[in-house]
Amino acid sequence: MIYILEDAINGVLMGSIYGLTALGLTLIFGVLKVINFAHGSLLMVGMYAAYWAIILTGVHPYVALIIVAPVMYLFGYYLQDIVIKPIFKAEKDVREPITVIIVTTGVWYILDNLTLLIFGPTYRNIQDNPLKGKMLEIGEMFISVPKLWGFVTAVVTAAAVYWFLQKTRMGRAIRATSLDREAASLMGINQFKVYNVAFGIGTATAGIAAVTLVPFYNIFPSVGVLFDIKGFIIVVLGGLGSIGGAILGGIIIGLIESIAPQFMTATWTEAIVYGLFLVVLFVKPSGLFGVKYDW
Amino acid sequence: MKTNFKFWGKLIAIFAIITFLAVLPQSPSVWATDNVVKVGNIIPLSGPSASVGQQGKNAREMAVEEINAAGGIKSLGGAKLEMVYADSESKPEKGVAEAERFINTEKVNVLTGCWNSAVSYPTSAVAERYGIPFIVPVSVADKITEQGFKNVFRIAAKDSWWTRDQFAFLKDMEKEFNTKVEKLAFVYENGDWGKGFAGQWKALAEKGGYKVVLDEPYPSTSTDLSPVVQKIKRARPDVLMLVSNAADAILLTNTLAEYKVKLKAIIASGGGHADPSFLKAAGKNGQYLFDIVEWETDVNKPGAKEANAKYNAKYGSNLTGEAVDAYLAMYVLKDALERAGSLDPAKIRQALATTNLTGGPGMIVGYDAVEFDETGQNKHAALVMVQINDLGKGLERITVWPKSARRGGYKPIFPMPKK
Repeated sequence: MIYILEDAINGVLMGSIYGLTALGLTLIFGVLKVINFAHGSLLMVGMYAAYWAIILTGVHPYVALIIVAPVMYLFGYYLQDIVIKPIFKAEKDVREPITVIIVTTGVWYILDNLTLLIFGPTYRNIQDNPLKGKMLEIGEMFISVPKLWGFVTAVVTAAAVYWFLQKTRMGRAIRATSLDREAASLMGINQFKVYNVAFGIGTATAGIAAVTLVPFYNIFPSVGVLFDIKGFIIVVLGGLGSIGGAILGGIIIGLIESIAPQFMTATWTEAIVYGLFLVVLFVKPSGLFGVKYDW
Repeated sequence: MKTNFKFWGKLIAIFAIITFLAVLPQSPSVWATDNVVKVGNIIPLSGPSASVGQQGKNAREMAVEEINAAGGIKSLGGAKLEMVYADSESKPEKGVAEAERFINTEKVNVLTGCWNSAVSYPTSAVAERYGIPFIVPVSVADKITEQGFKNVFRIAAKDSWWTRDQFAFLKDMEKEFNTKVEKLAFVYENGDWGKGFAGQWKALAEKGGYKVVLDEPYPSTSTDLSPVVQKIKRARPDVLMLVSNAADAILLTNTLAEYKVKLKAIIASGGGHADPSFLKAAGKNGQYLFDIVEWETDVNKPGAKEANAKYNAKYGSNLTGEAVDAYLAMYVLKDALERAGSLDPAKIRQALATTNLTGGPGMIVGYDAVEFDETGQNKHAALVMVQINDLGKGLERITVWPKSARRGGYKPIFPMPKK
């Protein structure tokens, strides 16, 4: 029994971090109606940014958030402004611009290979950080401290993004644009500015997720791909565009990955996750926590 | 009609150029003296395995230079070894075609190659058909020497010997340190490689009287391995055996340390654990881990250090297992040629089959002799076990097994001390 509890806690903690990695994906989709294939690469860029910020300054990993989140925001903002916006403008009459998806795929390849070129294929991690390998030992039970920090960060970040979207003027503009971009434009909202901000926020959350990962995870050029696939499943499971859905979807995946291996071999958990993914698509295509209508 | 002539004229000219170009690279052999032994080497010099192929070429060149400088093959009146190379591009059909060309056009006396098992396998059939001795320094697939061929001679250990040596090592450690190991856990990536190893482990564990308490494949793309580590911890094995790629090797090692899993030893299977970034990224969590390799720069064999230094000065990198096998292959060939005293392929074959090489500059491998069994496999080929430990100069890989190759003055740490 204590084993199940221990596994469930690990599943919730790790799952919330998965959710956090997928948060930006769901946000960007909700607003731009574009699946951002470069999201994993943005996470990877965030991990390298966090890695160097921590290595060069020697600060506590979470202090790096002060540097990484704004840098990633600007990176996303200008990535959208310079690379993606022109494509959007060229396709402005199309509701779901396919070419933009292809552009994000290009960005993914360019970022991954550029990183490979600059930093090489080496696997890095931060050896001397105060969180590395820390465990909370409650009797027989082990709880990973860096994952606990990640869990708190994920919940706080999701709540903050939610609050921002609900309560601020910019947030309302983002929601208006995501509901109907034509009508929002008619109301005087600068559609492309909103896109830039949404992409910036999405990228910043990837940066935050990266900071939660670096204390205990490896950093290498293709690390984004591992989280990318998981991110897509989480986002569809939770409902595309739903902030809470992303975190909950992540936790579901985390729980399956953590508990199921105790009853079968670990390779089967992937099959269960994909199976669940298909079932959800079949029964409730809008996702578990998504809204039925889709604008 | 006129234009037609022009067309044919051009065509003939093109053909003439092509033929000339095709003949050109072979022409030096026409001028070569008769007193040479021609060795055809088919190795991957471009394509995915190019870097390994280049290492093999470098090592061969170094050995042949030494042999020729020392007076060549004395029983053949000081004949020199002449190397010809062909690029297999790691493609089986290229290997076969080049072997045909070497034998028919170049008239080579001996063939060597091809590193990629997929290339060596069909190429061995060509050598067998023409009765030309084919020395395979390293190609691990078991089947290469299991075709009943008479002309194939493999120097390196075959695939199934990796797992064999892991268990032989474990038994030797138990004896040396008087520690009983009963329960084993197998954790491996769920690809061909991991599953292949695990299948052989199971049979070996049964034969060795061990109890397998966990047999767990995991996806190499896992982002969280703590569930697998939990299973290891709860199964309470004495020894954990791993097959991992790089990212998961690091993640597993760190997670095992985090969950304070108590083990007597961890035995890895190269791959990710041998990745240069492993030592750095796993840090002291990787300490005391055992890993299996073909060769390590510190093997305690006469000449090994010097050969490595010479190679490094010449080519700018350390010798690898592949390079050492290729280096040794040239000395095995020299030894056989000395005894054959003839360029007749059948005589060379006979001499190779009766090889019993125990010394000389080529014997810098971890094992003690080269002697081929009736299938052409070197009976004595074995792998080397290393332990990761810190002797005051940071973590390094230290050769511990076989005992004759152990680094001087080093005593392995077994069982693993509690951290």
